[in-house]
Amino acid sequence: MNNLFRGFTAILYKEFIVVFRDRTALFFMFFPPLLQIIAFGFALDLDVRHMPTALLNQDRSLYSRELIDAFVNTETFRIVKVVDSPEELAATIRRGEAYLGIEIPPNFARELRARHTAYVQVLIDGSSSTTGLQALNTAISVTFNESLKRLITESGRSGIPIEVRPQVLYNPALKSPNFFVPGVIGTALQLATVFATALSIVREREKGTLEQLLVSPISRWGLMLGKIVPYLCITMTMAALLFAILRWIFFVPIHGSVIALFVAAFLYIFTLLSLGLLISTRAQTQMEAFQLALVFLLPGIFFSGFIFPRETMPWIFYWIGACMPATYFITLMRAIVLRGASLTDFWSSLLVLAGMGVGLFALCAVRFSKKIG
Amino acid sequence: MSEPMIEVEGLTKRFGAFTAVDHVSFSVGKGSIFGFLGPNGSGKTTVIRMLCGILEPSDGTARIGGHDIIREGEPIKEMIGYMSQQFSLYDELTVNENLLFAGRLYGLRGRNLNQRRDEMLTTTHLEPYLGRRAAHLSGGLRQRLAMACSLMHRPTVLFLDEPTAGIDPVARRELWDLLFEFAGKGMTLFVTTHYMDEAERCDHVGYIYMSKLIVCGEPDELKKMPEVTPPGTRRLDVTCDHVTTALQAVRQIRGVRSATVFGQSMHLLVDENVRRSEIEEKLRSVGITQSEIHEMGPSLEDVFVTLSANHAQDGAKKEAA
Repeated sequence: MNNLFRGFTAILYKEFIVVFRDRTALFFMFFPPLLQIIAFGFALDLDVRHMPTALLNQDRSLYSRELIDAFVNTETFRIVKVVDSPEELAATIRRGEAYLGIEIPPNFARELRARHTAYVQVLIDGSSSTTGLQALNTAISVTFNESLKRLITESGRSGIPIEVRPQVLYNPALKSPNFFVPGVIGTALQLATVFATALSIVREREKGTLEQLLVSPISRWGLMLGKIVPYLCITMTMAALLFAILRWIFFVPIHGSVIALFVAAFLYIFTLLSLGLLISTRAQTQMEAFQLALVFLLPGIFFSGFIFPRETMPWIFYWIGACMPATYFITLMRAIVLRGASLTDFWSSLLVLAGMGVGLFALCAVRFSKKIG
Repeated sequence: MSEPMIEVEGLTKRFGAFTAVDHVSFSVGKGSIFGFLGPNGSGKTTVIRMLCGILEPSDGTARIGGHDIIREGEPIKEMIGYMSQQFSLYDELTVNENLLFAGRLYGLRGRNLNQRRDEMLTTTHLEPYLGRRAAHLSGGLRQRLAMACSLMHRPTVLFLDEPTAGIDPVARRELWDLLFEFAGKGMTLFVTTHYMDEAERCDHVGYIYMSKLIVCGEPDELKKMPEVTPPGTRRLDVTCDHVTTALQAVRQIRGVRSATVFGQSMHLLVDENVRRSEIEEKLRSVGITQSEIHEMGPSLEDVFVTLSANHAQDGAKKEAA
């Protein structure tokens, strides 16, 4: 034991001093993840609300006003402009002043009273497909509801034949931050950890201090562990900070146990630090280490299910995602935070993370050569 | 020579098609100072790295204190110290912390560690800078700290790779005083350098040229080598004004084999039949009336310059053949 990890305490002593004395490095370790969680948490809101809408009402009857009220009451639409011609309506959308245009023809009320079909035209800006789709769905359901109400009144029934009583579990208001912020913690931690260790050994290689370490009788395991532990402490602190932001700034209730959260974070961070260290042992320059780290980080953002659900990805991206530690951590986070799952419910994800971590760390120590050149 | 501490046999390192070190053999006695000389890129650092066990030799072997460098790398690491060319220190750490870290690497701790640190501080006179970051030290202080760090575990063999490069003359002198002190206590020192005055101070010197060790021995022995002053020739020291003009002139005299400027004088290698009066006459012809001519032995620099020129000629001849 003493021999296997020889030099561990020496490296640990040195690394702690270096890490805390290099204020710039420490700042750049903390700043990007914090920026990321704040920016994503506030900006990455896919709920479409109060979309700017232009209106061309050529009917101006009680009926048309009722329909317009129904649109506005969904809170999805907000009338920003009232226009007088179809050309002007199209131009408003083209100029980006409105996402949506509602055109009610002059004969709207007359057709309704005659029990004919009345036509309402809805123009949607499809250049932003996600919001366009949501606007379309909402517009259809609004008009459909209005039609139903009319049919019921005319048929004399007391209610609609089938009514859905939806109950959304875990995130009843379907708020985006609840879904995204736990995922952001996964990508934010990635950023902080991999770069920190990826640069650590290669920096010593460049400065020549690695040579000095190599002529001393320290062991590879001692060196690797001594390099990882200080960053493990710092990043666990950062994880705690991110959890606090999740809970008290974005008001995402944590349904599961906090201990489970930290266990998952610990395994995840250890895996990422080992990955960074592995990069550092292979790279010859800091630039090379930086680029290698990026190669591993980007798939972690795109294919981990952080933004796009993995289930609908082509198989190749699905499997790339399966190799990413972030995939398992984000799964765990959503399960623990939102669904209150316990660790035993998700032991397979934990096992994969632990396996990756230990495997990568062992690879670092085994593949690290105590020779140069 | 006392019992050998470092024994090198046919040590070779190839990087692809390039041979950086070509069958180098020598040995260094316990408690002696070995000066390892050669131009830049001749393979000095490569030899040190192989002896320190951080570079795998392609061929040949070496023993340090009886341990084989290939098979017994770990026990060797306990007994050697290494001060690399760039004085590898941690800039973020203070003088004190650099020393403590160096000690801890070798398993020193507690009172033992502090005691050793204090010893090193006294030896290298670094006490006033104890709390200063290594980044803020001058070149001479960095060098002293780097050496103190490499001595924390009391190595029996110390490798110093160009310890005086870029250091002022006073610091250079102080370092050598220290090296003599260590050698006196039985430490074996292996020093690479470019400075001839430093080489003169070593017990033994080796000169590596184009990857091959072309000469090795005591400085005085080397100066007596027949190749350096071939039979039928002698060496003269000519002191006069306008040495650059004088140099051009004496080179025209028949029988002058080589002429080099050394400060205010010239060193000539001439055939025995060249008389002093002949030289004085030549100098007068270019307007230099005052000159002093002495017979002299070769300096170490003469030895290395002559031998490397011979070596390069031999190489060219072999290639032509």
